[in-house]
Amino acid sequence: MAIAAVESASLTTSPKDPRRRGSLGGVLLWVVLTLLIIAPVLSFLILGVSPRVFQQGSQWFTLKYVRESFSSYSGQGIFNSLWVASIVSVLAVTLATTLAWLIHRTNVGGRRVWAVAMWLLLMMPTWMMTLGWSDLLQPFGGAQALGVNTHWFYGEFFGPLGIVIVLTSAALPFAYFIVSAGLQGLGPEFEDAARIHGAGPLRSFQTVLPIIAPALLSALAISFAETMSDFGVAFTLGYHAHFPMATFMLFSAISNFPANFSVAAVIALVLIISTVPPILLQSRVMRKRSYAVLSGRTRAPRRREFRRGPRVAATAGVVFVLFIALGVPILGAVIGSLVKNLGIESATGVHFTLTYYSQVFHPSVTGKSLGAPLLLSNQLGLVVATGTGVLAVVLARRLIANPGSWSQRVTDVFLLGSVAVPGVVLGVGYIFFYNIGFVTHHVVDIYKTLPLLMLALVANAVPGQTRFMAGPVSQIQPSLGEAARVHGAGRMRAWRTTNLPLMSRVLLWGWLLTFTKTISELAISQILYPPSQEPASVSIQSYLANYDPGTGTAMTVMTLFEMLAVIGIALAIYRLVTPEGWRRIGWSGVQS
Amino acid sequence: MERGSVVNKSARRATSVSIRGLTKRFGVKSALDDVSIDIAPGTFLVLLGPSGSGKTTLLRCLAGIERPSGGTIAIDGEQVAGPKTFVPPERRGLAMVFQDYALWPHLSVRKNVAYPLATSSLAKGDRKSRCDDLLERVGISHLSERFPNELSGGEQQRVALARALAAEVGLILFDEPLSNLDADRREQLRIEIATLTREVGATAVYITHDQSEAFALADQIGVLNQGRLIQLDAPETIYRHPTNAFVARFTGVAGEFPVRVLGEKEPNRVEVALPFASGYAIGASTTEKLGPEANVRLFVRAVGVSLVAPSHGSGVCGVVRDVAFNGHGYDHVVDVGDGFSLTKIYAASRFERAQNVKVCFDPSSCFVMDSSREA
Repeated sequence: MAIAAVESASLTTSPKDPRRRGSLGGVLLWVVLTLLIIAPVLSFLILGVSPRVFQQGSQWFTLKYVRESFSSYSGQGIFNSLWVASIVSVLAVTLATTLAWLIHRTNVGGRRVWAVAMWLLLMMPTWMMTLGWSDLLQPFGGAQALGVNTHWFYGEFFGPLGIVIVLTSAALPFAYFIVSAGLQGLGPEFEDAARIHGAGPLRSFQTVLPIIAPALLSALAISFAETMSDFGVAFTLGYHAHFPMATFMLFSAISNFPANFSVAAVIALVLIISTVPPILLQSRVMRKRSYAVLSGRTRAPRRREFRRGPRVAATAGVVFVLFIALGVPILGAVIGSLVKNLGIESATGVHFTLTYYSQVFHPSVTGKSLGAPLLLSNQLGLVVATGTGVLAVVLARRLIANPGSWSQRVTDVFLLGSVAVPGVVLGVGYIFFYNIGFVTHHVVDIYKTLPLLMLALVANAVPGQTRFMAGPVSQIQPSLGEAARVHGAGRMRAWRTTNLPLMSRVLLWGWLLTFTKTISELAISQILYPPSQEPASVSIQSYLANYDPGTGTAMTVMTLFEMLAVIGIALAIYRLVTPEGWRRIGWSGVQS
Repeated sequence: MERGSVVNKSARRATSVSIRGLTKRFGVKSALDDVSIDIAPGTFLVLLGPSGSGKTTLLRCLAGIERPSGGTIAIDGEQVAGPKTFVPPERRGLAMVFQDYALWPHLSVRKNVAYPLATSSLAKGDRKSRCDDLLERVGISHLSERFPNELSGGEQQRVALARALAAEVGLILFDEPLSNLDADRREQLRIEIATLTREVGATAVYITHDQSEAFALADQIGVLNQGRLIQLDAPETIYRHPTNAFVARFTGVAGEFPVRVLGEKEPNRVEVALPFASGYAIGASTTEKLGPEANVRLFVRAVGVSLVAPSHGSGVCGVVRDVAFNGHGYDHVVDVGDGFSLTKIYAASRFERAQNVKVCFDPSSCFVMDSSREA
């Protein structure tokens, strides 16, 4: 050992180096985010008022397309999306709060099952939900095959009611997880204090409610944003029910001939603007009054012990809601895939068959099997989930480091804004930005290629994934890493032996969430898939719409079960290969 | 050397620490301001100060968790932090007991304790026997397969202590390790920290805001305030000859009063007139040259005040405001007139509330300071 050794060590760890490394890393990160999200979205949005910037018109500034967007059929779409999103967000938060309270704060039956069901619901795309309902309710469909008459509801479902049901089901898990976090942090001491000081059950509830109000507001904002930006329902149920919605009108504006990018940009702008205020509002409220009241002194919440009768009733209520949200779509799709001549009147009645499943990988109509698209989707899922995970961890660490700093605030606002960007806007932005001559010649030439689709899918997943990870990451005490360093671990070993085990579960679930969402993603895939390289969701849609609904439904079911199988395998591997300690601690998103 | 350490930390050899002109700024706020301390090998140094005094920052700079803004730190004569040097924590050859324990919740007690040994050259069997030995010494060998969340606060802190002792480093840092424990456990663990640290022969730097803890543990005490080192001395010197009013107050006084100097009785000893007892004068020590016009305050340690019955001939008249049983006697609060009072005055027998008493002062526990020079 010598002073020289100290000095040589200081070459790589002098006091200035980490800051320089940090700022270089920060610049690199923002370059990546610019290419991923900022540039594609902004270059597309600017067309709404300045089409000449990218040779889409003759005006440098015009409000013509703003007027056009609001006065035409697309104006109806915007209006529909706004009122549907308002109703859906209120319904979703009400249901989610009730479910979260029952599951986390009472002895309702099957709590672990319901928590897992919420995860499945979160992973299920809205177009699959629509398909399930539709297959079940349609004449000569699944319900009729089971001898249940649903004709009276079929017409109702193909309209605003069905849209609200499916979108509420889709928003439910988002609201549920946010409210659950709020409830779990709410120790019994607040309620105890109210009761001790003379408040009855109702007044105690009223006293405690404001403590989780930020969580409720947060759930409301996220539900609204998710509903506004949904494409699956707009593309399937909305279109077939002649109920225009903003995201579908945006898609139509660029897919019709001639494409009208300026109108699409105005609709995109409206979508983003409509979701930014509620998200910013909840962000302000959260900053002032954090509902995260977890501390070393917080005791585990006390469960309310229902007696037998109320417990059965509460359990039945939870079962009913989750059956409607998750059970009906899955059941509908599964039964639909087994009904011979699905939706076609037959003189001999409705019969079951396995024909569609034999068609999935050996189709006689088109020759286009599900094999290649599903394999492609899995490859996409693997790359996108891994890339998103890495980027989300980096961003989440940045989000919680140096609270109140300039860089933290910018990252926070950027991520909040990005959550509000619908996939369809991102998809169109990518078409536009990565086809600009300057970009293809001087930055990167990936237009109409698979990497472009991958990048867009990563960009779509990163903001939500980062916010998903920020909470669990922030719960890891810095002293755990510091203790490792002080007791001899280098930077990497300290991270690997302390942070990684504590984050492992959230990393796994985050990865699975992105993986399954990527496999079933529709909006970006529909817009950006390269010629002759259809992902599974696009392939299934073309079957459903053009060729053979029965085979399309069977493909949907196969895709759904493939996703479930991956989840099961991943969880089993995690259980087998990780030490017991990893599974005992950390994020408890699937525990009730 | 173990862990690929840059600093020599051969087993059981205490290290010296030299801190020179250490400063640390967080933005415009200065947390440490030109602090210099030399710690001889094997010394148990306690850094004492209120919240925000910079003691935690100093400890974290020493550990390598924080980077100093200026100054140097040398461990065993080798610079680990300086203008062009920064040795990361894992290469400084030290161990630390954290305030929040910082036990890794996914590792069992045994694995937590064995963590610092992972990169050592010890054979697997030797590591295990060292772990067993340490767990035995801190009295938690029966909990070795438990996880941290299955332990009480005191047990968790014992694990943290065993972990810090495991690597047999020459320097152990303690970041207020007892502050989250109840009084009973705190006393037990304090004794164990004092004996075990001295047993292994390591140099220790321990921070606390509790003066009784500091006096009980320290060979040397450094008193910090607003990022500056105010006094660094043996505990007895700190108690008997505080450098200034802040040190006097922070190390515990029964009362302080503005007084008038009547004259110097002998070198470093003056006679002062109390404001609430006309014609009554007492002796007090001082390190300053104080004239009759000086703006002077008298500080009285609780140990230098006693209560007697009113019939007693000498003493200042007072009235008992409050009395509290402390297990082996009674602590009293006594009003002595003109709004002044004395607290924590011990007496073996109880004086009741509102009872008249006489208060006697021991000049050796009274000292005066020029209040215009207060830090």
